[in-house]
Amino acid sequence: MAYCIKCGVRLEERAQQCPLCQTPVVLPPGMERGHSEPLFPHPLPEAGTGGVNKTSKGIIELILALLVVSEISIALTMWFSGNMAHSFIPLFSTAMAALVIAMALLAKHTYVWQSTIHIVLVSAYLLALDAMDKHLCWSLIVVGALALLWVFAVFTTTKGAKAHPVWTAILLIASLLGYVALINWVVAGALTWFVPVALPSAGVLFLGVGLFFLLFLTRNKTRIPLADLVFFNLIVLFLTFTTLDLFMTHYRQGIWRLNWSVSLLSAAVVLMILLGGVSASRRLRRYFTSQHRHD
Amino acid sequence: MDNSALIYPPTEAKYNANTYRLSMDLVQEINAQILELAVHAMLERCPYAKVSLHKGFFWYYLSPNHKNPVLHEEGSYPSARISFKDNNGYLFKVLYGKHRIALECFHALTDGSGALVYLKMIVSEYCRLADIAEVTFSGSLNLDRRPEREEFSDPFQHFYDKTLPGTPSTGSAYHRKGTGSYDDRVKVISAMVDAQSLRDRCREHGYTITVYLSSILAMVLQQFQKEEVPKQKRRKPIKLSVPMNLRNIFHIDTMRNFTLFAVPGIEPALGHYTFEEILKKMHLDMALSQDPKLIRSQIKRNVGGERHILMRFAPTALKNPLFKLLSDSLGDDLYSAVLSNLGYVKVPQELESSVSRMDFYLCPGRMNKVSLAVVGFKDKVVINFSSFFNADTALEREFCRFLVQDGISVEVSTNRQEENKE
Repeated sequence: MAYCIKCGVRLEERAQQCPLCQTPVVLPPGMERGHSEPLFPHPLPEAGTGGVNKTSKGIIELILALLVVSEISIALTMWFSGNMAHSFIPLFSTAMAALVIAMALLAKHTYVWQSTIHIVLVSAYLLALDAMDKHLCWSLIVVGALALLWVFAVFTTTKGAKAHPVWTAILLIASLLGYVALINWVVAGALTWFVPVALPSAGVLFLGVGLFFLLFLTRNKTRIPLADLVFFNLIVLFLTFTTLDLFMTHYRQGIWRLNWSVSLLSAAVVLMILLGGVSASRRLRRYFTSQHRHD
Repeated sequence: MDNSALIYPPTEAKYNANTYRLSMDLVQEINAQILELAVHAMLERCPYAKVSLHKGFFWYYLSPNHKNPVLHEEGSYPSARISFKDNNGYLFKVLYGKHRIALECFHALTDGSGALVYLKMIVSEYCRLADIAEVTFSGSLNLDRRPEREEFSDPFQHFYDKTLPGTPSTGSAYHRKGTGSYDDRVKVISAMVDAQSLRDRCREHGYTITVYLSSILAMVLQQFQKEEVPKQKRRKPIKLSVPMNLRNIFHIDTMRNFTLFAVPGIEPALGHYTFEEILKKMHLDMALSQDPKLIRSQIKRNVGGERHILMRFAPTALKNPLFKLLSDSLGDDLYSAVLSNLGYVKVPQELESSVSRMDFYLCPGRMNKVSLAVVGFKDKVVINFSSFFNADTALEREFCRFLVQDGISVEVSTNRQEENKE
C-alpha cells in the first residue's frame, strides 16, 4: 500500500504515480507493484467524441427556426401580392443573411477566418444575384475587387505571407494585374487593351518601383530622406504615364508617338531638376527638410 | 414530463450530457442474462421508467416504450451522453462490468434519489435471481406490489401556488478557468474515505457531512480565485449548487424528478473567509434553503415559467434554441460547482459481504468543468470528482489534501491515463 509523499493520500496498489500531483510511486528495492482492479476496465479513448456544444447548437437552431419562419412569411407575402416570380431576391437574401449571422457567431473568431468567410459569402451572394438572368456581368468586377481586398487586407496579415515576403509581393502584383485584366475582359468581352496598354504600363511601374526598392535596400543608411522618396516616386510615375501615353496612342492610332504626356514630361523635367538638386546636395536637402528647422 | 425535466432534453449536447451514474460493485461476477431479467422485473414494476423521449410540437414528452432495454458493457468513463437510438429509446442505461452493476440515467427520467431506488430494485432482484441473497433495500420499492399513484405524480405541479411571489434570480458566480486542454471524456478521481472518521470530524466541527464537504470545496475555490483575481473587489461570489431531495421535506414518494438546488456560498469580495466562517455560512445558507416556504416560492417561479402563455404556445423548434442559449445564464452561470450528496445507502445485512463498492458520478459542465458526487455505503464514503480537464487536477488535489490535513485518511483511484498527466 503506497501513500503519496506530497498529498498524503493512499494510492491504488497498481498506481505508478499519484493521480492528484503526479508524484511517481517509488517502491523499495525488491518490492513488486501490487495488482488491483482499475476503476474502469477500459482505458480512456484517445480523444473526446465529436458533436456540437449547447451554445453553438442553440445558435444554429435559433437561426434555422427564424429562417424558416421568415422564408415562409416572405413566400406567402410574395404569393398574395402576385409577385412570386420576383421572390428569389428576398428569399435568397434572407437565407444568406442567416448564413452570415451563423458564420459570424459560430466560425473561429479570428480576423483572418471571419473576414475570409464573409468575403466568400458576400461574393457568393452577389454572383447569385447577378446570375439571375443567366449572365454574369457586374458581379465579376465587384467579386474581383473583393478578392483583391482579401489578398491585400487579409492574406498579408497571415503568418505564411509574413514568412515569404517576396512571394507575397509577387502575389500582390499578380492579383492587381489579374483584376485589371478581369475588368478589361468583363467590359470588352476579351483582353483588348490589357496586353497592348495596361501590361507595358504596369510593367514599367513595377519595374521602376522594384529598381528603386532595390536601390534603397543596398544603401548603407537606414533612413531614407523624404526628398529622395518624392524624387524617385515622381520618376516612376512620369515614366509610367509616358509609357501609358505611348502605348495607348499606338493602340488607338497605330503609331508610336507621345501625345498628352509631352506637356507632363516638360513639367516633370523642371521638377526633377529641382528635386535632383535637392537629392544630390546635402545642403539643399537640409534646407528643405525638418532637420534644418530643428538645428 | 415533470417540471424540472423539461429543461434537460433541449439542452442535451456535447459537454452537457445531463446524465449521472450510480453503481454497485459486488464480490460475485455479474451474469448479464440474469441482470437482464432483473431489469425487466424492475421495468414491470415501474412503468414510468419504461418510456422513451419524443419531441412534440409544443413540448418534449414521454411515451410508453415497448422495446426491450439494452444492457451495455462497462466502458472507460461514466456519465457520457446517452445515445437514445442505441439504447432502444430508454432514458436510462444499464451497464455491467465484471463485478459491477451500473445505472446511468438521463435527468429527464428522474433525479438521483429516484435512480437510486431503481438501482436498489435491480440489485435486489439480481441477487435473488443469482441466488446471492434475498434482500430488500430500505427505501426501495416492493417488486411484487403494483405501482402507487404517488410514484407517477409531478409534485411540482401539486405545490404550485400562483399567488406566491417567485424567488428572484441571483447574479453570476465565479467559474474556475483551470489550466490546459479539456474534452468531453469524463475523467474521474475517486476519493474513498472512512465514514466514521469523516462523521467524527464533522461532529467536532458541529456540522453535517454535506456542509463540511461543501465548505472544503468553497475554501479551495476561494484560494483559486485569490490567485486568479488579485483585486479583492473584483472577486465574484463562490456559490455551490447542492441538490436537495424534496421528498424528505414534503414527504412525497414520487419516482420523477423532485429536487431543487440549495445555493450556499461566500462573497470573497468582502474579504478572506476562514474555514470556520465558511462552515457557518454554508450551514446557514443550507438551512435557509430548506425552508418549505422558500422552496414553494422557487417552485412557483419554475412552474410559472412553464405555464406562461408564451411558453405554452411557442413551438418546440423556437423554444429549444432559447433554452439552450439561456440555460447557462439561468443555470450554470449562477454557481461555481455542483456538489451532490446522495446520502448514506444502507446495505442490507445479508449483502454486506457481497457489496464491495458503490459509486455516484455526475457529468461535469462546460462552465463548471469539475463536479462532485458523494455517496456513503457500509463504512465508506466515496467522493467522486468528474472532470473534463485532461491534466488539471488542482481542485481534486487541494480538496483531498485538505481532508488529509484535517485528519481524514483518503484513498484515491482514477481512470486518468499516465500519458494524460503532466
